[in-house]
Amino acid sequence: MRFKNYNFDFIGKSKILIIISLVMIIAGIAGYFIQGGFNLGIDFLGGSLMEVEFTRDVDVAEVRSVMNDIGFGNAILQRTESNRFIIRTKAKELGVPISTEEKKEILDSLDEKIGTTGPPLQDRNVDPGFGKQITKNAFKAIGISFVGILIYVWIRFELRFGAAAILALVHDVLVTLGVYAILNREINTSTIAAILTIIGYSINDTIVVFDRIRENTPMTGKLGYTKVVNDSINVTLSRSINTSLTTLIPIILLLILGTAALKDFALALTVGIVTGTYSSMFIASPIVVAWNNRFPKYKK
Amino acid sequence: MRNKKVHITIIAIFIAIISVSLYYILKEPINLGLDLKGGTQIILKPTERGGEEVTTQSLDKAMLIIMDRIDKLGISEPLVTKDLSKNIVIQLPGVKDPDKAKEIIGKTAQLEFRLVTGTFISIKNQKWDTLKFDYEKGELVIDPDAEKVLLVDDINALVSGNLYEIDGELLSDPESEEMLLVKYSGEDNQETDVEGSSTGDGSESNVDINIDPEKVIGKIIYKPETRELLLVDYKDESELGEILVDSRNDAATLVGPVLLTGDKLAKVAAGYGTNGEIRVALSFKDEGVEIFKEITSENIGRNLAIVLDEEIKSAPYIKVPITDGDAEITGISSIEEAKNVELVLQTGALPVNLQIEESSFVGPTLGMDSLNKGLYAGIIGFILIIVFMLFYYKGLGIYSALGLIIYIIIFWGVMSGIGAALTLPGIAGIILTIGIAVDANVIIFERIKEEILKAKSPRIAIGYGFKNALRTIVDSNVTTLITAAALFRFGTGPIKGFAVTLSLGVVISMIISLLFTRSIIFLMSGISRINTPGFLGVRRRSGE
Repeated sequence: MRFKNYNFDFIGKSKILIIISLVMIIAGIAGYFIQGGFNLGIDFLGGSLMEVEFTRDVDVAEVRSVMNDIGFGNAILQRTESNRFIIRTKAKELGVPISTEEKKEILDSLDEKIGTTGPPLQDRNVDPGFGKQITKNAFKAIGISFVGILIYVWIRFELRFGAAAILALVHDVLVTLGVYAILNREINTSTIAAILTIIGYSINDTIVVFDRIRENTPMTGKLGYTKVVNDSINVTLSRSINTSLTTLIPIILLLILGTAALKDFALALTVGIVTGTYSSMFIASPIVVAWNNRFPKYKK
Repeated sequence: MRNKKVHITIIAIFIAIISVSLYYILKEPINLGLDLKGGTQIILKPTERGGEEVTTQSLDKAMLIIMDRIDKLGISEPLVTKDLSKNIVIQLPGVKDPDKAKEIIGKTAQLEFRLVTGTFISIKNQKWDTLKFDYEKGELVIDPDAEKVLLVDDINALVSGNLYEIDGELLSDPESEEMLLVKYSGEDNQETDVEGSSTGDGSESNVDINIDPEKVIGKIIYKPETRELLLVDYKDESELGEILVDSRNDAATLVGPVLLTGDKLAKVAAGYGTNGEIRVALSFKDEGVEIFKEITSENIGRNLAIVLDEEIKSAPYIKVPITDGDAEITGISSIEEAKNVELVLQTGALPVNLQIEESSFVGPTLGMDSLNKGLYAGIIGFILIIVFMLFYYKGLGIYSALGLIIYIIIFWGVMSGIGAALTLPGIAGIILTIGIAVDANVIIFERIKEEILKAKSPRIAIGYGFKNALRTIVDSNVTTLITAAALFRFGTGPIKGFAVTLSLGVVISMIISLLFTRSIIFLMSGISRINTPGFLGVRRRSGE
């Protein structure tokens, strides 16, 4: 992994790279519409969730048929282990948690027809009103993070760097959400936490590149701004890739070895870290160059 | 030489920190969050009661009462806190049945004594039936085929065939669709003096009704914010009575104003009555005894409703004035329920109504599973990172390995020392920070390599490397802290745990790489044998 001797033309190829990003984002939006929106968890929609452990291995069809028999055909089933299922149920009205009686009926039927090891491993009930509050808080947290980062980068660098960094972050969030839409993976509060972490983490690579651009800016007179930016990306390339790799190693292990809940977290982080590294090189820096081309400040 | 002293001092300080951390690791086991050790969490949203707004004081009082109730239930190590949105968050470690806890903790326990003033009945095919109150829709359930709906003053008299009075007839105003109570002067048959009322289909007849405004007594209104169904005066909207559900027969019953409340109680005891019926015996404080005597002596021959949380539990007939201040609640289905009533009445009524927003139970199996698998992923990740660093940065990789080990010890020590709870997302946070901890090393090492390639001596290159990397490391960590702060502010329990582990990890790893790693590299660079470009992972080519 020796990138130092290479000299990629990041800025020259920026049009193609931006098109690749747009294609990814559009694919995500298409996935969103094809799947009929995000697969939002009970944290946001409200409702009930139970994780049940069976005495033997079962497949989705078997659990589904039991649920159909007792009138819960619309339940969402997620297999977490060969003998464990998360069952999300909807009561008559969307989002309203099911009653204790209905819960008992489901558990009794599953025990009778398949055999369960005991009470559910987890049992969550969320009021739809609370889901709205969580959604509001998630948006607030993301908004405040964006503003905070913009202000910080603005103070440390310049507004144009801040704006470019934020655009790169928006790109990362859109791509990550797109992957969730395409895979139809459930979005819950952990996903939001992971996305916020991506926002905080993927800005790192961008800052490292910006830092180098700032350091090399005095060379603009000799080399031209495009070359300064391009060289800065190349020089920080091995650093960007290595830091992402060292962060990705344990996260990918978590994605492989973790429990269902940990995997949820790890997936968002994996996608976010990869796109974050990509966007700091291929999105944020070209924006800085384009901005300078349009409103020249650093001239040859 | 002065530099050397500074570096040795820094390392000595770190050795002290590590010792303290090890002490805490051994002394205090890490505090596991509810989602890892298993238990029940209930989030309750306070809503105003009786027109009184939710204030900080009423919320605090509610929390104290809840704590009291949890203590009485014998649950150990409970945690009752407020969240950002002023919800009450209750964590009950080890509690496996959220439903039972929910019933007792969230119960308002407002005990009221009110006179029964009437009951609504519907008449169909010469038979009568009581009406029900639909709490979800906030209205009385009226059979569309009912020939008429009447308000009678004494349902018991009606049942036993004694004298009763019809206080009015309930009619739907075709224009405003309001439910109106109209003076009833007709006999108890199909012919009434209400114009246009027909004996045929009841739902059709409603359309043609002409209501004489002179005869309207009142109307029924629903207040969704307090879930109250009230009978109010037609003209000035003053309250004439409240409609409550009688728990014994589900009948919608009209009651008068509150005459006495549970805060005047002295003693509460669940048990069995003389006839073996389940009951909760009540006795009043002196002040309550007086009021109770007054009520019972002024209302002989009437029924006094005992209302618990907007539900009539029983409505005994007042035969003689009660002077000793003893009363009882009957109409309870099980002794467990009676004991619950006893408990909630003893701890007092909550000053606010509480609505359950979230209730969750996580068994210890799932949490332990996540903890073990997370630990497993962490250990393998840790080894792989060190292998990677050694492979890529050669000798410098040893410093990362050392730094990472120290990072884990200090991190663990701080978590144990401050008693921060490790949550399930927190595990992901730790795993993530193991990766982030190496980031700073990579930035520094890359800089050192760069300086060496510029043909600087290793010792000078190390100095430049740290100096140039410092700004980048601080910048990139501050942004991560910004988002962690946002998460801490707006996240719920487990997510807060994640924000804490992430922030701690970022700060600790930054301090280690900027101080400890720096000092150890400087000190080691004095030893010439290991202080070669090759050791630092750079092969200088001729001509470079």
